[in-house]
Amino acid sequence: MTGGKAITCPACGGTIEVRAAGFSVNLVCQNCGSILDVSRPEVVLIRRHERARTRFAIEIGKRGTLFGQEWEVVGALRRKDQIAIWQEFLLFNPYLGYRWLVAADGEWQFGTPLADRPQGDRNRVFWRSDSFSRLGRDQTFSTTAVAGEFYWRVKAGDTATATLFQSGETFLSREISEGEENWTQLVPVEQSDIEQSFGLDRRRLPKRKAPSGLMQFKAEPGLEQDDLGRMFLLAFAAAILAAIAMAVLAGPSTRTSTMVQVPVGGQIAPIKVGTITVRRPWQFVTVNADTNQFENRWVDLEYNLVDRSSEQSIDAYGLVEHYAGSDSDGPWTEGSHHGDTMFGHVPQGTYDVYVSGSAHGWPVDPLPNDAWGQVETINVWVEAETGTMSWGMWWTLVIALFAWPVTILWWRHRDK
Amino acid sequence: MPVRGASLPYATCPYCRTLILRQGLNVEEIGKVAVLPFDVSPIQLGTTIGAEGRKLTVVGRVRWAWDGGSWNEWLALAETGAQFWLAEAAGTFMLTAEWPQLLDRPEVQAFANGGTINTGDAIEVEGRQLFASDVKQVECLGSEGDLPIPTQIGTRMTSVDYRSASGEVLSLQRDERSTTAWFGDSWDLVSLKPGNLRAIEGWTIPGEMR
Repeated sequence: MTGGKAITCPACGGTIEVRAAGFSVNLVCQNCGSILDVSRPEVVLIRRHERARTRFAIEIGKRGTLFGQEWEVVGALRRKDQIAIWQEFLLFNPYLGYRWLVAADGEWQFGTPLADRPQGDRNRVFWRSDSFSRLGRDQTFSTTAVAGEFYWRVKAGDTATATLFQSGETFLSREISEGEENWTQLVPVEQSDIEQSFGLDRRRLPKRKAPSGLMQFKAEPGLEQDDLGRMFLLAFAAAILAAIAMAVLAGPSTRTSTMVQVPVGGQIAPIKVGTITVRRPWQFVTVNADTNQFENRWVDLEYNLVDRSSEQSIDAYGLVEHYAGSDSDGPWTEGSHHGDTMFGHVPQGTYDVYVSGSAHGWPVDPLPNDAWGQVETINVWVEAETGTMSWGMWWTLVIALFAWPVTILWWRHRDK
Repeated sequence: MPVRGASLPYATCPYCRTLILRQGLNVEEIGKVAVLPFDVSPIQLGTTIGAEGRKLTVVGRVRWAWDGGSWNEWLALAETGAQFWLAEAAGTFMLTAEWPQLLDRPEVQAFANGGTINTGDAIEVEGRQLFASDVKQVECLGSEGDLPIPTQIGTRMTSVDYRSASGEVLSLQRDERSTTAWFGDSWDLVSLKPGNLRAIEGWTIPGEMR
């Protein structure tokens, strides 16, 4: 404990030290991760969390000396934009105010908030008689994780737009968030100095990756423009082409349908749905089952395609199930009132389609629900169709096409 | 009770938290003042400010809260008795002097009469263009020392901050009794040339501020 103030977390009851008492507005409980408002004498819970806290390269509370002044790490943020994820540390000294340490791609910068705003236009600004030119385009970044305490209202998911201006090794960063404009001067610091002063958890450092320098420290203007959009467009076009090709391949279509009533707790003998004809050497046949609304029941269906000439039968199974309930996380539902079954390789011929099946209650079959022993039934509309496309194959293709661009997108959004 | 600014009508008793109004030889009890929450401000009653050849002494403090946080306003007196507010904001300071001539401006008059000011509204002061950056309803969290305004529990006011690009600030403060205008500059602590700073446990006062 230093000159701080101890408070009790209203969410978990743990004791937390407020390091910048009187300055800090929001604080993240180091025990449970809940966000607290500490700007008034009574501590207020803003958002309850029950999870392990996020780890950062420097621990909250570490003291160190930089440029001849002593600083305490009071807050840490993980932020990301379109191309990078980085960490920012809020440094505090009651006599000197706040500074920043920014860690990105193995590079460290020391940031000083500016009271006097640089003046200029979109591409060039002047500050204390130096000229700074814009580096790259505006980047929207968001805060994905927070730890420690802050002199403003903070939450994961906050977004802001940042623009960097450069003059030699010095950067000016302009951040605009909710109409508020803040400028920070950034100068490079050696990682070894940070390590010596504050100690570093190297495993928690933002990963070095990609030639595009994080925070665009080294990025050439324009490099942050990526071709993710083009990748999506290309994958989309290929998926549509494949769909058209498959529709052509699928060939002519015939279909037949009927409705059957399946008793819950009982079964039905095979019922003829109708007749379909496969006109190509082979085609796909799908059987769709749609039921009326029910809860906590399942219907097992068996389909038989009987070749009129050979009397040979091709069999497949379908399932329609839907469950609902509620638990400590609130209400839930599972399953669907619809079930598709596909016969992958049906040879040329004319087929009679039969359906049979049984229905059950979950967790147990229901008792007859009135004095006359009337049994609950489920209506199942069965439709068999030839000349359909193998949507499963198509989806496999779509997954293959989109895997890489979606992985990139996921990587960028994984901290959300 | 120690009296630091004899010209100031209100004083908070440090022992019983009673707000006292002094008028000539009369002393009147106004109400109770909330206990100031603990903070690590480097300023204390008795801190001096020597910036720009001035010699100011801090004699009182009000702590204000709004829905985005809370901050200290320290009252500093010059030897002439002139009043200055030293506002602490996220480790930087705004030192303002009363600027009564601004109250004649139509937009300030409209505000004084209950009108609203929106963020982004502009005003020109001393040849500088300032823009309203904060418009907030504030509530007193407590006070200490001698003050020109009453600060009993429940005291509220409307506070509007204007800023210029180069750091000048204008503060309009409206309560149920009156509206005042304060104009000045942004500073960091070291350039205020402070003396008699508060010693904060666990921290060393930087050499240039001792």
